Amino acid sequence: MIVVEDLWKTFKLSRQQKKELRDTPGGRRDGNVDAVAGITFTCQPGRIFSLLGPNGAGKTTTLRMIATLLKPTSGTIKVAGFDVVKEAQEVRRRLGFLTGTTKLYDRLTPNEVVKYYADLHGMDKALFEKRKEELFTVLDMHDFAKRRIGKLSTGMKQKVSIVRTIIHDPDIVVFDEPTVGLDVITAKNIIELIRDCKRQGKTVIFSTHIMGEVSLLSDDLAIIHDGKLVYGGSYKEFVGQMKGESLVEEFIRLLEEAR
Amino acid sequence: MKTILTIFKKELIDSIRDRRTLIAMIVVPLVLFPVLISISSNMLISQARKAREKKLNIGLLTNGNAEEFRQDLFQRDDVRVFENLTVETGKSLVRSDSLDAFLTFDPEFDLKVGQLEPGNITVYHKSTESSAIEKRRVTRLIENFEEELREKRFETLQLDVSIIEAIEVEEHNLASTKEKLAEEIGGLLPYLIIIFCFMGSMYPAIDLAAGEKERGTLETLLTSPAGRLEILLGKFGVVVLIGLLTAAISIVGMYIGIRQSREIPPELLHAILNMLEWQSIVLLLSLLLPLTVFFAAGLLSLSVFAKSFKEAQSIINPLMVVIIVPAFVGLMPGIVLNSKTALIPILNVSLATKAIIAESITPGILIEVYVSLIALAVLSLLVCKWVFGREGTIFRGT
Repeated sequence: MIVVEDLWKTFKLSRQQKKELRDTPGGRRDGNVDAVAGITFTCQPGRIFSLLGPNGAGKTTTLRMIATLLKPTSGTIKVAGFDVVKEAQEVRRRLGFLTGTTKLYDRLTPNEVVKYYADLHGMDKALFEKRKEELFTVLDMHDFAKRRIGKLSTGMKQKVSIVRTIIHDPDIVVFDEPTVGLDVITAKNIIELIRDCKRQGKTVIFSTHIMGEVSLLSDDLAIIHDGKLVYGGSYKEFVGQMKGESLVEEFIRLLEEAR
Repeated sequence: MKTILTIFKKELIDSIRDRRTLIAMIVVPLVLFPVLISISSNMLISQARKAREKKLNIGLLTNGNAEEFRQDLFQRDDVRVFENLTVETGKSLVRSDSLDAFLTFDPEFDLKVGQLEPGNITVYHKSTESSAIEKRRVTRLIENFEEELREKRFETLQLDVSIIEAIEVEEHNLASTKEKLAEEIGGLLPYLIIIFCFMGSMYPAIDLAAGEKERGTLETLLTSPAGRLEILLGKFGVVVLIGLLTAAISIVGMYIGIRQSREIPPELLHAILNMLEWQSIVLLLSLLLPLTVFFAAGLLSLSVFAKSFKEAQSIINPLMVVIIVPAFVGLMPGIVLNSKTALIPILNVSLATKAIIAESITPGILIEVYVSLIALAVLSLLVCKWVFGREGTIFRGT
């Protein structure tokens, strides 16, 4: 479970950024910017939580705070009952993290990358071998397990990323725009992975701005804009109370209302 | 510790599979360096030998004077004499390198010499570095002639030549061959090794921080249970190891290069190889260890600050000058290791190495060098830890 309460993240800007912000109509003058401004939500195990928002809404910042990469300015996040600031390492032990922009180590083989992450998670050797065998078989990776990653296709690389993310069987899986830049076939692997995680009772949070993925996967939904929560609730409720004709229209309507 | 070793092992495999690291670590010091040493020393020595052995082309305009000197020149096997030249023609032949020198005698040369006055000889030459040996040979010919004239004058005056020698100096240089060699070329060894050490550390440092940041893999790595300090130490260990290995390989390269230089006189070759004794090398590497820690920490700090591999390169490349200058100062004559220079990083390694080769280093000053280098290494490591722990640095540009 992930419990986010009144979460804030304020970034100090560089001199140049401050100048640019001052020149923007309505820009803040104190030299800081709130990337996340007081959001609260809960992600339940066995459910898929979608974080929806336009570019720059604060999705990545929120996910980075959940993954202990950034420290919240204020507010709390509990991941599997552990505080992300005070018990960061415990959080990371239970976490799988995948972003669409992450590449892999081109000079290593899939075997080596997966072993590296298993070792970092302190996995027992026998358990690692068993889990690797299962995942490599399910994703049909044995043929290229010993080839350098730099020589693999995008689809193959994505499969390696997936195994790297879940090799330690995490309770919580965080996906930050995981399908960005992928073709439909490759993106399908990720969609399947997210569904599998749900089936296994894991807590899944993923950020996207692709409406199709939201309707395909979401159990719960949070829409954020300018760091603030515009909507938070179940996907069913969201669809039930829609005023726009489609998801996209409703999304745009909510964002405009929030301005 | 286990996590640090896991990261170290992975980064080491990743780095040694990187072509750029391999080129900087092995190809340049072990292949290119010996070839360059061999070619350049062979060229230098054979050029010098050619200059010593070639027939000198000397233009001569005696105006009917110094017949003895003229005859002597004609009889020499190592000189070809050209006469019947005007001053202008002679000068232009020197300019076009057809003549090594053009000597013109004052029309009253013999008369003046006869009256015990100095006779004037004008020497036209074109002295650049490469023709210095030819110039020295011409000067020696004239000096010999002067010596003959002086002896004749003393004979005429019925004086003993030795009366002009008010002092007879007997010099005994007690410096050992090693000391002389350390002063003359001893600075070159640390100079080259320090540069190789820096170059060797550079690519892994850029790749393991800025490269990983650019690929987005750093973000993923930071979500693993490994702490930031553990990640930093794993990467840092690899940069230090590769820097030291590059330095060690460059010593091997230097050894091979010197062995292959057939033109080096055997006694000099023997002395240089003595300089590369294992005790000196071990001491040098022990000095290089804290220096490499400093390099690695500095390079990683800058590299992790950069947004991309390219940006890191553009920040770090100009730093080469910062390394070269103090290393180069160590090459200068007169700069010695003392309690002040022992505190200047890089320069202290350069000077200490010179002193180690000369076997003139004292334990006190060596300890000062170590303390200074270790303090610098610890400080730079702390800075690196601070930089690596900053959110603003890790996520700069993302």
